[in-house]
Amino acid sequence: MTARERLNQLKEKFGPAIQRADLPGDTRLFVYVEPSSLKAVCQHIFRDLDARYVISIGLDDRPVSGQFLVAHDFAFDRDHLLCSVLVYLPPDHPKVDSISDLIPGANWAEREFRDLLGIEPVGHRYPKRLVLPDGWPDGVHPLRKDVPWNQVPEGFDEEAEFKFDDPPEGCTVVPFGPFHPTLDEPAHFRLYVEGEMVRGCEYRGFMVHRGIEKLAESVLTYNDIPMMAERICGICGCVHNVAYAQAVESAVALRLPPRAEYIRTIMLEIERLHSHLLWVGLACHIVGFDTLFMQSWRIREPIMWIAEKISGNRKTYALCVIGGVRWDITPEVKAELRRLLDKLEAEWREVVAAVSKDKNIQKRTRGVGVADKTLVKNAGLIGPVARAAGADIDCRRDHPYAAYDRVDFEVITATGCDVWSRVVVRMMEVFESIRIIRQCLEKMPEGPLQTPITDELPVGRLGLSSVEAPRGESHHFVITGENNRPHRWRVRAPTYQNLQAVPMMIKDQQLADMTISLGSIDPCFSCTDRLETIDLKSGASRVWSQEELIRLVRKA
Amino acid sequence: MSLLIIILGVLANVTLVLLLAPLFQGVLRKVTAQIQSRQGPPLRQPYFDLLKLLGKEDIESGQAPAMQRFAAYLSLATVLTLAALVPMGFPAPLSGAGDVVLVIYLLTLSGICTLLAGLAAGSTYSLVGISREMMTMIALEPLLAVAIVAGAIHTGSFRLDTVLNGSVYAVGGFPWSGLILLGAMLLSFQAFVQRVPFDISEAETELMEGPLMEYSGPKLALFKYAQMAKLVIYGALFVDLFVPWGSALAFPFGWLIFWLKVCGLVLLVTLVAATHARYRIDQAIRFFASLLVVALGALILASYGY
Repeated sequence: MTARERLNQLKEKFGPAIQRADLPGDTRLFVYVEPSSLKAVCQHIFRDLDARYVISIGLDDRPVSGQFLVAHDFAFDRDHLLCSVLVYLPPDHPKVDSISDLIPGANWAEREFRDLLGIEPVGHRYPKRLVLPDGWPDGVHPLRKDVPWNQVPEGFDEEAEFKFDDPPEGCTVVPFGPFHPTLDEPAHFRLYVEGEMVRGCEYRGFMVHRGIEKLAESVLTYNDIPMMAERICGICGCVHNVAYAQAVESAVALRLPPRAEYIRTIMLEIERLHSHLLWVGLACHIVGFDTLFMQSWRIREPIMWIAEKISGNRKTYALCVIGGVRWDITPEVKAELRRLLDKLEAEWREVVAAVSKDKNIQKRTRGVGVADKTLVKNAGLIGPVARAAGADIDCRRDHPYAAYDRVDFEVITATGCDVWSRVVVRMMEVFESIRIIRQCLEKMPEGPLQTPITDELPVGRLGLSSVEAPRGESHHFVITGENNRPHRWRVRAPTYQNLQAVPMMIKDQQLADMTISLGSIDPCFSCTDRLETIDLKSGASRVWSQEELIRLVRKA
Repeated sequence: MSLLIIILGVLANVTLVLLLAPLFQGVLRKVTAQIQSRQGPPLRQPYFDLLKLLGKEDIESGQAPAMQRFAAYLSLATVLTLAALVPMGFPAPLSGAGDVVLVIYLLTLSGICTLLAGLAAGSTYSLVGISREMMTMIALEPLLAVAIVAGAIHTGSFRLDTVLNGSVYAVGGFPWSGLILLGAMLLSFQAFVQRVPFDISEAETELMEGPLMEYSGPKLALFKYAQMAKLVIYGALFVDLFVPWGSALAFPFGWLIFWLKVCGLVLLVTLVAATHARYRIDQAIRFFASLLVVALGALILASYGY
């Protein structure tokens, strides 16, 4: 069904509640609705039309329209359609009906705009703070346009501790994180444990929220942001880099030169290769199988070298600018990449054969961390987690971007819903990635790398972009703005949705399965904010607070 | 005269265990590295590791520092006492001082040390670690006891030098019970020496070393040393009970063959550890329980003289 047919469907059902609609093409649909019927429209789209929930976005639009804006993004994967349901809210005490009781996956997104913009989700069942630290004073919302990017509000108490919920009766609390050998980044799970069984948990993350979106809206410019975007994640940085560039390009309807599209595809698949190999290694490490961990990383290493040869870096490729790419793939690199793929394919076949026959690994991963189709639908799970539960979704095929519409590949699915199925899906996707890169090398035309941009980008356009990261769909939402920077840029990394389902996945499972269940979504958190120094002369140690460190750095 | 020999023998065994334990650990690490396509540390690395840990600041931490220190001392002391009771290429120096039941008690005591260490740390993870350790111990210790008792039944004696000399095969006909017990012990040997797939109680990626999480510096060195020595002691016990062939040759051949066999066992442990993922505690206990049933069957066979 096309975007126009979907729109007509909605208009038929809701009539005047649909205030306005934009159809910038066949693959994007923006529907503005009345606040009072927002919930009904979302329910209809999510349940009756069976769209996938993507993310909710809040925006302080007061400088432009004098109002706040909330957008709920949905994806019609079969129709290749991304749809945004937008609603304007009054500038004083903005309130919006919560949709999280209809769509559990909206839980975090609504709490996030409550924290950052002060838009109250009315009827939210668990409106606890999510992003802001607990010492942050009430009533200060950093993403509002009148709050400067570097403001530390009056009364901010850095030492304030997080208030935890009470554990259920009969359970002891096992703190998991913020620092734990299998968590490479800080996040805290308070596990409620009965014997060796996990009965529930409370999550506390966002410990190193860096405010990248705020920086983009207030400090950086269009072509700075791709470099910042790829620093969102240490593993799938290129995904954010491409997704942002595409969101802006889609907003202002900019066409890319074909060679640039192929190069983007190649780099994204190189990233998927190294990410999947990294993950298989880590998963093996988590269950104590270090031999495969080492072998997997050995096989992975040449991919990092070729990435360095192309972009100058093993990671953070600095690939995209608006309208093109910055690096070319030379004939020598092309030949080397081909050789590397042959070797990689042969070695990976051996690993896959070894793992598939290994009863021991299957014993630890089968029936563990189960996320079934209902959970996938309700929580909006994506990527290998969804595909391992039989949900046949993949943005590369469903919402084609770059050169994915010109290459042939299969979307790997499995039906086990457990960690083992996720292992299988990821292992098999490696072969598909190899296939895609080979086809790209074959089909890549000669030509320029960038489309020249001569005029200022138009203001007030909306752009959506979904890129299939190794962990699932990365979704970027952009509204273009003045001063050569976006008015709003919202990033939804795949872990944002997948992590919300972890408490459900580990419930009533053994404590020992916690780490591999969490690991199976391939979580991506962030970096540290404190360090300890020891004065060698006096032997005295002291802990530096974040504030002191910042002062120290700025002084130098 | 005999007292002197006993003292010399005890010293010889204890020194040998202390000297060889890090070497075996080095072999284990090197071979593991080779399997994993790594270069691996030099063979002498574990000696350096221990020296470095011993030279570090002795930090008091956890909820009961005194108990923590005691557990570390007791752990190494227990293992070294065992060294004097187990024949290692020549008869056990303290064989007159106790019988095989003492050996079983001492082996249990070394498990108790881990329990004390975990209690002293008092953190959630160490408590989970010791609860797993205890479950493992309860399921495992009877296995070794059954093997030793079967040997005692065959030979009609609890004497160390009689039982720890391939006694499980000491029957008139085909040694059914002995071979069954050999299989059961081989399958559970990784658990006795706390290696993958049965290093459940300290599982780094789950429990962050469990009972040992509060240990550092010299106390950690003692515990690590005890763990390395345990590999040697259990290796020696296994060889004494199940692979006696060649050990009776004249010195130094019997002695050399004995240590070669222990070394072979260490390599086997390495190989299994490098090719397996860790089991979950419930999977492991189920596995041990089925082995125990088999072992008890073997004990019944043994009591009927098979």
